[in-house]
Amino acid sequence: MSRESLTGMGENISGGRISDSASAVRNRLSPTSGADIVGLFVALLMVLLVLDIVRRLVTGGIAYTKLLEYLWWGLRDAMYIALAAVGLSMTYSILQFANFSHGDLITTGAFGGWAAAYLVGGWGLASVGELVLVRATSGGVSPGQVGLQVFASPLAILIGMVVAGAVTVLVALAIDRLVYKRMRDQGGISMLIASVGVALALRYFLAVIFTNRKRGVTATAPDVGPFTAHELTLVIIAFALIVGLHLLLQRTKLGKSMRAMADNKDLALITGIPTERVITATWIIGAAFAGISGYLIVLDRGSVSINLGWFLLLLIFAAVILGGIGSIYGALVGSLIIGMTVNVSLIWLPSDLAKVSAFILMILILVFKPNGLLGGVETT
Amino acid sequence: MTLLDVANLDSGYGDLQIINGVDMQVGDGEYVTIVGPNGAGKSTVMKSVFGLTTYMGGSIEFKGTEISGYRPEEIISTGIGYVPQSDNVFPSMSVMENLEMGAYILDEVPQERIDRIFDRFPILEERRQQNAGDLSGGQQQMLAMGRALMLDPDLLLLDEPSAGLAPDLVQDMFDRIDRINDDGTGVLLVEQNAKEALRRCNRGYVLVQGQNRYEDTGDALLADEQVRKDFLGG
Repeated sequence: MSRESLTGMGENISGGRISDSASAVRNRLSPTSGADIVGLFVALLMVLLVLDIVRRLVTGGIAYTKLLEYLWWGLRDAMYIALAAVGLSMTYSILQFANFSHGDLITTGAFGGWAAAYLVGGWGLASVGELVLVRATSGGVSPGQVGLQVFASPLAILIGMVVAGAVTVLVALAIDRLVYKRMRDQGGISMLIASVGVALALRYFLAVIFTNRKRGVTATAPDVGPFTAHELTLVIIAFALIVGLHLLLQRTKLGKSMRAMADNKDLALITGIPTERVITATWIIGAAFAGISGYLIVLDRGSVSINLGWFLLLLIFAAVILGGIGSIYGALVGSLIIGMTVNVSLIWLPSDLAKVSAFILMILILVFKPNGLLGGVETT
Repeated sequence: MTLLDVANLDSGYGDLQIINGVDMQVGDGEYVTIVGPNGAGKSTVMKSVFGLTTYMGGSIEFKGTEISGYRPEEIISTGIGYVPQSDNVFPSMSVMENLEMGAYILDEVPQERIDRIFDRFPILEERRQQNAGDLSGGQQQMLAMGRALMLDPDLLLLDEPSAGLAPDLVQDMFDRIDRINDDGTGVLLVEQNAKEALRRCNRGYVLVQGQNRYEDTGDALLADEQVRKDFLGG
């Protein structure tokens, strides 16, 4: 601080009056006014886009049902992003680092869960190895033959989901014990870099077991009204889990101690909150949600690959940062915005560019509100 | 009876030793102030009692039990409450939830304690559903004290409770500490506002560079020519 002001003074002295007035002008054009302009621009853009949607609806440029479909897809994507985002946000606020291995926890859940679902639902149809490795090799049994879909084999799907959560929790706790626990006092940057290493290690470990072949997994389920059965399952389960988490955070002693620790770690320690137990609970909830998210994404998309979580991680980070990193409720809001943006922008953009629009929106909002939408308002 | 007996304490942070052979006693229900220049280790003594520093030697007895090496959650249950100087509330949690966190180590939140704290600090009852982060500085300080009083401690450690308060609130804060002490709670206070603190307390310690320099009753320290000249600004 003092050094900066000293060099600033030096410049002014050497530059004389001219640089004095120049810096005065710079001060008047402070960052806030720049952010205000961006904010105004974003708001104006939103209004224009909404008006354009209305125009297209009226002139028939876009069908009413098409818009509803995009909104539904937006909600669907928001739900699985949210499941993963709350966990990422919780590890950020309670363990104080950005966990880049969170995406590969999603992949872990996807493979672990579907291995279990295949074993239960496909028992006797193929060798145990082929089932547990979720069709690692081409040829052999096909997804249609195993016939896993919510109506035909609800039990297998349910067991798979529970296993997806459980396996991911075990993997996350093991990684915490092996890596992060030893680094608790090391600071966010070291842990972030370690987590990138963990992400790669975990992904290639999974690739060694399950191979890196992208393959179909589920059978097609009959539609429920305008929705596919599997996306409906995803939305309902994710919604239930998020409501459950909300009740946990607001009503239970564990949830309150998690919020307390996210708020003020030192004070939590002084209050007698057993911080390691809270950290364990954080991993359990965050990892279970990530694993179930991965499992449900595969249920919806019908296929699984080793890059599932890694490719998703950037969108999840966008949602978390947009909502205000460290804020669980912010992560939910951010997920909804990202999910909706990615899909509603299909009205104007080809699908390849839809994700770009989400990131551009994120950048614009961050310029306007650097702490994210709910950042600094509500830490948890 | 001696409540807290710190003898020949050495402590610090990591390899850095800050406290060098400090002795300090707080009697049952006594009001003791630690004063001294910046960097004298006043807050560090307090943190050491609460197990938040690196212990390097000496003894800390509370009610006759050696508590050096105890973890904070064990120290709380022996009957010591601690209010840190800053960041002493959970900002995104409600006033009520902050008080509940004060009783974390109990299975049930004791409603009668909450009622008594609301009697003591009526403004907290008025604001009980508000987030602590939305309270004023003085109200946050009251909430922090309320939180520390949830377990009805025998000894309350207060680290500069008047720091950052508007001048008219400082006297109010000291009055509240008096009342807490009148109800029988022992108080160990670290204060920048040394004159006022010494006026109010039973006894005081002057700490310099992590060592005891003077100790006496508050009035005697205030009257001491040398103490006044060196530490109280004349």
